[in-house]
Amino acid sequence: MTERAPSKILTLAGLEFKSAARSRVLLLLILSMVLIAAASITIASYDFKAQIADYEAYLQQARATGVAIVAPPQFFPLQLLRGVIEYVQIIGAVIAIGLGYMSVARGRHGDTNRLLFTRPVRTREMFFGRLLGAGALIVTILVATALISVILIGTVGGQWLNGGEIARLAISFAMAAFYMLIFYALGVWISARSKVLVNGLVVALVIWLSVVLVIPQIGDTMDPDNQVPGGLFAALQVNKADEKKVLANFSTYEKVRNGLEETSLTKHYERLTFAVTGIKDTYAGKSLSYIAGEKRNDIIWLGGYLFLLSGLMFSGLRQERKTRKVT
Amino acid sequence: MSISRTHHRDASPDKAVDADPAIEIVGLSQSFGDTQVLHGIDLTVGAGEVFGFLGHNGSGKTTTINVLTTLIKPTVGVARVCGFDVLSSRLDVQRSIGYLPENIRLYDDLTASENLCFFAKLSGVKDVSGAIDQALGFLDCTELADRRVGTFSKGMRQRIGIAQAILHQPAVLFLDEPTSGLDPMGVRQLRETISRLNSEMGMTIFMNTHLLSEVSRVCTTIGVLAEGSLIYLDSMDRTLERFPDEASLEDIYVRLDYR
Repeated sequence: MTERAPSKILTLAGLEFKSAARSRVLLLLILSMVLIAAASITIASYDFKAQIADYEAYLQQARATGVAIVAPPQFFPLQLLRGVIEYVQIIGAVIAIGLGYMSVARGRHGDTNRLLFTRPVRTREMFFGRLLGAGALIVTILVATALISVILIGTVGGQWLNGGEIARLAISFAMAAFYMLIFYALGVWISARSKVLVNGLVVALVIWLSVVLVIPQIGDTMDPDNQVPGGLFAALQVNKADEKKVLANFSTYEKVRNGLEETSLTKHYERLTFAVTGIKDTYAGKSLSYIAGEKRNDIIWLGGYLFLLSGLMFSGLRQERKTRKVT
Repeated sequence: MSISRTHHRDASPDKAVDADPAIEIVGLSQSFGDTQVLHGIDLTVGAGEVFGFLGHNGSGKTTTINVLTTLIKPTVGVARVCGFDVLSSRLDVQRSIGYLPENIRLYDDLTASENLCFFAKLSGVKDVSGAIDQALGFLDCTELADRRVGTFSKGMRQRIGIAQAILHQPAVLFLDEPTSGLDPMGVRQLRETISRLNSEMGMTIFMNTHLLSEVSRVCTTIGVLAEGSLIYLDSMDRTLERFPDEASLEDIYVRLDYR
């Protein structure tokens, strides 16, 4: 009778995937996210189609009036993903926390942990198995969302994405997968550390509320440039160099504001994906290597969070094994 | 309760005298904070025995099983299963044992065969479907295979629970209060199953129980635990010889416990 660690990891991953996929609450949440994302991209695609139609009408009019040279259009179809990214930020994080909570609850419910912990399985195999199973489910959700997005942009928006745009879309959804995995690890860790399981879920949701909604909102509200639609400095016709000079007088304030945003995982995910997809106008049309250089800080933060929360999740599982908590 | 002398020692007379003990406990003490639950237990269970572990609620029976199944680390003392130390050879111990906890639930969202497949793979079983068919067939519950465990009665769960414990054909099977919550028919079926596991598959069985009638019918050896100390340990045959005046095992148990 031989046992191989990879097959045990796959077995544990299979349990994680199968059990989560059969949870009605979780399926409802996933379906909500996919439907809302689809609705958001449909609306954005109609708007995009109207922009193209306006441009074509302008082009025809220009040609009719004898204008020979017309500026090429600046359409970035990936910008239609803004709503999808924001829903992943909010609902995706809740789904991931729910997955983590359920992973711990499954073991405590009916004392199945007792059976699992008497099998020849190491804690690291449990860790990788759970991470892999949850990762597979998260990727499945995101691939479905991405496919729906591509199809809607093509059919409703009238513009099919090219190879480069598909690659950017894939990168932004890979970021989303890492982002959700971090929240999954948070859900496992907090739940595993909680004597009363539901308390773990509540604490995880309070953290979600702070990281996803409160901190980024405070950061945005404190940003002077956000006080006027389109940007305060743009409205005052202040150029970038002068803007920097003005802000230099408020360096402490800006450090506090930025520092606050830096603590939010959601903000890093948003900055990265908004840059890759060109939703943030500054990065629209820029190369991926340029964006990687500019957003190095956010990549490091995201990687750091993933590393930290994975470590905490591992310690939570070890603690769970040690104490064999039962609901 | 009358004592039955037809327990299964007769069915496999040689097993109990195997040279290597299946379970060895030396000076085992267990504390949780300031509370000492076990007080220096010494116990040996031979290979092929059906060992009945008796005692009141809170006497330390489940704690002993928890140590032997590697769920908790012993505070003091040594515990070995199939010659493997529970601390230094945890994985070897886990490969050698099957375990049925009290009030088993399994994974409600999965079917019986999915649950069994999960535990078989974790136990390193190569022919998983063959092992599942064999275990379900042995327990006469093949019809439960494709039903979700969440819909099962206590008795059905118990049978699937035993199936998961024997899938990998362990040398030692630990049963913690296996008759708890079962109806009389369920208890009878379980008794027969235990006897067959011992006689047909040669498993050593370590069973915590309250049901003295089951102990007298099934077990070859008994141990009595009182307030964390082992106050009695002997074969069923010798127990009955030593207490010839007692009408039942219950009388023996009461006499031992109050001695």
